[in-house]
Amino acid sequence: MCCNRPVGERVRGISRVSYAWRIAATLLGIGLLLNGSLRMSDDAWPLGPLSQYAFSPAKDETIVITRVEGLLADGRRIDLALRVETAGISRAEIEARIPQITADPSLLRSVTEGWTFRHPEQPKPIRVWLVQDQIRLVDGRVGARRLVELAAWELPS
Amino acid sequence: MTTLRSVGSWFIPIVPESRVALLRTVLYLFVIIDVHLFVRDPIPLSRHPELYQPLLIERLFRLPPPSVPLTITLYLILMIGCLVAAANVLPRLAGGVVAATFTWWTAIGMSYGKVDHDHLALVVALWVLPTVGVIADRWRSVERSAQAGWALKCIQISVVFTYFLSALTKIRSAGWSITSWPDSSILLWAIVRRPHGLGQFLLPYPELLHVMQWLSFTAELTAVVVLWLKGRALLAAAVFWMGFHVFTMAILYIHFAPTAICWLAFAPLERFGPGLRRVKARWRERAGRRSARHQVPVLRNHPVDSSG
Repeated sequence: MCCNRPVGERVRGISRVSYAWRIAATLLGIGLLLNGSLRMSDDAWPLGPLSQYAFSPAKDETIVITRVEGLLADGRRIDLALRVETAGISRAEIEARIPQITADPSLLRSVTEGWTFRHPEQPKPIRVWLVQDQIRLVDGRVGARRLVELAAWELPS
Repeated sequence: MTTLRSVGSWFIPIVPESRVALLRTVLYLFVIIDVHLFVRDPIPLSRHPELYQPLLIERLFRLPPPSVPLTITLYLILMIGCLVAAANVLPRLAGGVVAATFTWWTAIGMSYGKVDHDHLALVVALWVLPTVGVIADRWRSVERSAQAGWALKCIQISVVFTYFLSALTKIRSAGWSITSWPDSSILLWAIVRRPHGLGQFLLPYPELLHVMQWLSFTAELTAVVVLWLKGRALLAAAVFWMGFHVFTMAILYIHFAPTAICWLAFAPLERFGPGLRRVKARWRERAGRRSARHQVPVLRNHPVDSSG
């Protein structure tokens, strides 16, 4: 362990002003972070609350999984997987815009464009649906599942 | 006065600058990985201006809405800036550019409805690392400084606050209840929504999931203690949290890699260079001995030790 200590070690100087602003910045940063977690919303990122998985679902909660399904010209109904690498947009981003999409289903264009761009060899969907798998918890255990349609959009030909 | 001085030296300890030089290299190279693997959606998202909802920081600084040319420009600046800063060249300029660009890039990634919280320590690290300035001899520096100590302390605080503040947010969101979150069905909820990892094997055991929630919540709430740990206790804490991240990765596919990499701010990285040199020297010594043992064919009538 003796050898880990550098030979000829020197200490760089620091002025009082440098010292003071560093202490002030640390206290301000800690204050802003605490304020973010105690009072603010996600809008205040990177100084907002660390709210991922920070809620408390009840034992009879309904868990929803939002998906987008597409109808192909040959009648097949396929899942347009909501991931950046498959549709250019992730599930959480679509979930955050559900009210806007149900009011204006043409916003599903973001998914169909991203999906067709990444799947040029596949036929383009002619109609898409915003759907949710709803899974009911029963006394903290996984119960029945049902499919609910939230919005539908015919792609312009 | 003594108390003030000891508080000051806790926030601003004097540490080897080579530690910061090495951490800079690791973190700036990590940002390149991050842009390709984790916050990788700003360019595709910028094709959908109709879904963009600027965060407070973007409104405050009146940042223009993302477009494809803008996000591609940010991407290119990040790539060049990270390579320069990773080499500890122009640390203030390159580091400052990377800090501002990466903050904007990540903010764009969070402006379409989903806000992640695994980047707090990395964003703080990128803003404080340039303040250390030029480090003479970079990774081989034998200088120590308070400037380096403050930067590392800020990153350490951000790492443990990532855990502590998430526990605080859980208490707040449950109406200031301490037991609601660990007693809830949150892990079951998360596994059902992300049924890819090993978590699905835990679905039939909700009681076990509750035990895991209590453990993680207690660890998060007490994470600040890590700031006062030293030696083996600190190593044990680091191993525990790395295990925690591996575990959440295995059951939920949630990695928190940007936080995990910042744990290096606790490590005595200055030992890495001399350690590596010692290993190299030993390896060379062994290789030398091996070649000395090899018999060299000597041609007849030739002097063995010919120096002419």
